[in-house]
Amino acid sequence: MKFRAIVLPVLLFGGLLSTTTPGAAHHSILGKFDDAQAMTLEGIVTMIDWRNPHVHIFMNVAEGPGFQNWAVEIESPGVLRGTGWSRESLRAGDAITVEGMAARNGSRQVWGSSIAMTETGRLVMDVAPMRPPDPLAPRPTPRWPDGQPRLGPLPGGVDGYWAYPSANSLVQTGANVEMDEFGMLENINDSDRVAPLQPWALELYEYRQSRQLRDDPTFLNCKPPAGPRQYHQPEGFQLIEDRVRERVFVLVGSGNRNFHIMFLDGRDPVGQVGGDDDNPLYYGRSVGQWEGDTLVVETSSFNEDFWFANGGLPHTDALTLTERFTRPDFDTLRYEVTIDDPGAYTRPWTSSWTLRWVAGQELPMHFCQENRP
Amino acid sequence: MRALRAVTALTFAVLVLSAPVSAQEGHPVKGSWLGTWGLSADHLNDVIVIMDWDGEKISGIINPGTDNIEIENATLNPDGWVLRFEATGESPSGEELNYVVEGVLENLAFHDRTFTGSWTHESAEGPFEIQRQ
Repeated sequence: MKFRAIVLPVLLFGGLLSTTTPGAAHHSILGKFDDAQAMTLEGIVTMIDWRNPHVHIFMNVAEGPGFQNWAVEIESPGVLRGTGWSRESLRAGDAITVEGMAARNGSRQVWGSSIAMTETGRLVMDVAPMRPPDPLAPRPTPRWPDGQPRLGPLPGGVDGYWAYPSANSLVQTGANVEMDEFGMLENINDSDRVAPLQPWALELYEYRQSRQLRDDPTFLNCKPPAGPRQYHQPEGFQLIEDRVRERVFVLVGSGNRNFHIMFLDGRDPVGQVGGDDDNPLYYGRSVGQWEGDTLVVETSSFNEDFWFANGGLPHTDALTLTERFTRPDFDTLRYEVTIDDPGAYTRPWTSSWTLRWVAGQELPMHFCQENRP
Repeated sequence: MRALRAVTALTFAVLVLSAPVSAQEGHPVKGSWLGTWGLSADHLNDVIVIMDWDGEKISGIINPGTDNIEIENATLNPDGWVLRFEATGESPSGEELNYVVEGVLENLAFHDRTFTGSWTHESAEGPFEIQRQ
């Protein structure tokens, strides 16, 4: 064979050469804002933009002889509602003091961690970690008439969903590694203990961490937080059982109203010809069955266009997940996942956490693509 | 024959370049790459490289078409993201030509990351630069 340069009139195809570069990006908080640059702003509210993924408050701040308008970015409407905030908590004309951190790019943007009325000092927003409501008393696992555990509410019961995961990112069982809520390691030297990463995957993981996760496609491009990551999202998820059609719908509270289906009808995890064919998918193809009180689901056919874990652990399209869902009592869901990805890891590994039942509430509405900068 | 090769290459280039942009967050070398190689910056030829990762080794082909050649002995050193591979071509007179390509992956965070390096063959060498499409 000949290693000859092919003669391509590439210039004729210049238009095809241009590729899409992410435009103004909605970075994860630490990608956009610098937690080493604390900032205090005093000024007058001019507008409140109450939309997902983050609410913005615009305020005029005295600078020199005039004013400059600043954008204060704060949590999502769902999180704010959960901490007692409403869109009426502030109005245009209010004088406020904002504590937060400055934008890395030096623009007039700040991430607001607390907001107080300047005149009285009354705190109107102080984002504390949300806590699940304490159950009144231990309640037994709800079951269908045939004894199989239910994954949702009681028949005729009001809505509810699963949230408040006991962990924020994937860590192999037995490893004691500290991370923040976004999956950022407290100590980067712990990176090789998080999972049995292949050398390239370990280096890539550390690279993503070193960039404060600012390249996360979920934040940059609203890509689905698929794989185990969907069960780490603060907006939670619902499991809707369709026993007649032998499937479980997973409705994800984050992303853009993402959902996927876990088929329990014995089918093979292959694509539907004329439907999704055999294309790799964000949520892969899931098939499962009940083993005693545990729903065991195997998922494969993932694409490589998303991060499957908070914190930036890599995966490849060789990824297969074995997930086990159990409901040991009414208010607890235990999730265990075995990650088998010979493309990125040296061996299969397992991680697990629990989630809390949020009774009587609908799944929070969180649309990533609203209010994007 | 040469025209056929050109048409084949053109068709492939159109297919590659018009495909939807994919983030590709997996192994950094996986994908279709387009760029140039040559004796100097003034004498460059277009080159297409397709690379894949099976969990153990990097495979790939250069200039897919009737004259494509396989990438051999490819390695990626994550420490510095140094990619090296070999390719065996053939001169117009039928002589076997052994090339070594080595360089560095840059802009890993982006789908259109780059590979910047050089090729060598015996005493000859030149730039080899490709960008993921």
